[in-house]
Amino acid sequence: MSAPTLKLSDINLNDPELFEREGAHDVLRLLRREAPVHWNPGGEVANGFWSITKYDDIRFVSRNPELFISSKGIAGPGIRPEALQSLDSGAQPQNAGANISIIGMDPPRHVKMRRLVNKGFTPRAVNAMEPEIRRITNEILDKIDGRDELDFVLEVASQLPLAVICGMMGLEQKDWALMFDLTNKVLGSGDPEYQTEVPEEERGTSAAARATAMLGVGTMMEYFRNVLEDRRRNPREDDLPTILLESEIDGEKLSEGDLLAFCFLLILAGNETTRNGISGGLRVLCEHPDQKAKLLKDMSLMESAVEEILRWVSPLHHMARTATADTEIRGQQIKAGDRVLMWYPSANRDEEVFEDPYTFDITRTPNEHLAFGIGEHFCLGAGFARRELKVMFEELFRRFPNIELAGKPERLRSNFINGTKHLPVRLNSGR
Amino acid sequence: MKVQVNADMCEGHAKCEKAAPEVFKVGDDDVSVVLVDEVAPELVEKVERAIRMCPRQAISWAKV
Ligand code: HEM
Ligand code: SF4
Repeated sequence: MSAPTLKLSDINLNDPELFEREGAHDVLRLLRREAPVHWNPGGEVANGFWSITKYDDIRFVSRNPELFISSKGIAGPGIRPEALQSLDSGAQPQNAGANISIIGMDPPRHVKMRRLVNKGFTPRAVNAMEPEIRRITNEILDKIDGRDELDFVLEVASQLPLAVICGMMGLEQKDWALMFDLTNKVLGSGDPEYQTEVPEEERGTSAAARATAMLGVGTMMEYFRNVLEDRRRNPREDDLPTILLESEIDGEKLSEGDLLAFCFLLILAGNETTRNGISGGLRVLCEHPDQKAKLLKDMSLMESAVEEILRWVSPLHHMARTATADTEIRGQQIKAGDRVLMWYPSANRDEEVFEDPYTFDITRTPNEHLAFGIGEHFCLGAGFARRELKVMFEELFRRFPNIELAGKPERLRSNFINGTKHLPVRLNSGR
Repeated sequence: MKVQVNADMCEGHAKCEKAAPEVFKVGDDDVSVVLVDEVAPELVEKVERAIRMCPRQAISWAKV
């Protein structure tokens, strides 16, 4: 689907519809070739920003967390200062520097905060949790057993990450659906499907997106205020809210704001990305029947298949940074204060790093993709995400080896999350 | 040359141990320790690889 008429001057990566219709790879390929560090002009509301599209440059930005900070926003270009004044203050949580915990924190505080919980995410912790991940997976698959067609996202892909992170947070099962809904509202705020509280004729506007995100954030905060209140009175053995409540940094307990933000981040980060890794993974395997057959024949390829899925799908399209000093990358002058967006799908198709980057190959080695970022903010949940994908595909293909796509995937309108909202599949269990 | 692991950053991903088992070992506390005082010349390349691959970028050459 290459567009021969694509010109640099037409490029706008702040267009969520470009990602919804899967046109971004053509744009990113052009940028890598002709303008690997590219100034994307802003709009009436949005800031202009630098697009970083080369693997090595994304590593460079990620590895310099003091030069490229996260605390001024981690998603999207941010709102122009002039425009911000006319919006309700702090209208866009991820832009306005709202407290979004470690993912929006800089050195030196960042690592201190991260270390409060990171022991719960090490390879050891993941191994210990694997039997539970497998049990949950089979519980999910039991529910679809005997069915013919279904929405793989709603009934399968979303359910595992939701159960895992809600379990770690000690949330009651009756609340998991609410967490699913709120995650969609916050991270999918720009998609009309999730703008359910906005009058129908206003859906699809940027005001509707802001209102939806605000509502999601507000409800989530309220919810976790109650969770924290409960854990203060009834501490639990090892759930994350209790651990956070008992933690100290430099001799001080965390503030209510820090506690809430941490809970909020864990729910958001643990949910949607992994969901899209699972649904995107099933899709790409079904679209490459030779690769799926190869995997089914030799399930020991699963770990490398998962890495290739992560490279191919890149569940997060980008993370943002803000420069703190004037810097040059590939001859371009980045000024202090400029916003920089690192495009992971582009790094993961970089011709200078990956051989035949547009070939989906479940045996690819080496495969040092950047789907989880690198360095200071390297995904805290990477071990869990990898294991969830692995166990899910092991169990899914063991039980439903003939599963196939049964319709067009419906994609999320977002340039941040590489999301699939609905994926119709047929199980073909031979009944 | 001396190599060091920043224990604050390390989270036990063990990529280093895979790349250079002669030099790194991940302990029971999920933190990698450097096994050698000086990295032998023939291991420098492996250590360079570990430095590159560490997801947390926790490994560096010690400045003298
Ligand atoms: C396939 C699934 C996932 C992908 C692709 C993914 C991707 C990412 C990326 C790219 C970052 C780096 C942000 C940056 O450099 O600014 C990140 C950070 C983070 N992720 Fe994930 N993630 C996934 C799953 C998870 C899961 C399951 C959890 C939790 C259980 C999680 C928790 C976090 C947290 C807490 C951070 C912030 C780390 C920090 O700033 O120190 N993620 N993730
Ligand atoms: S690869 Fe990095 S994070 Fe992992 S154990 Fe080695 S030093 Fe630690």
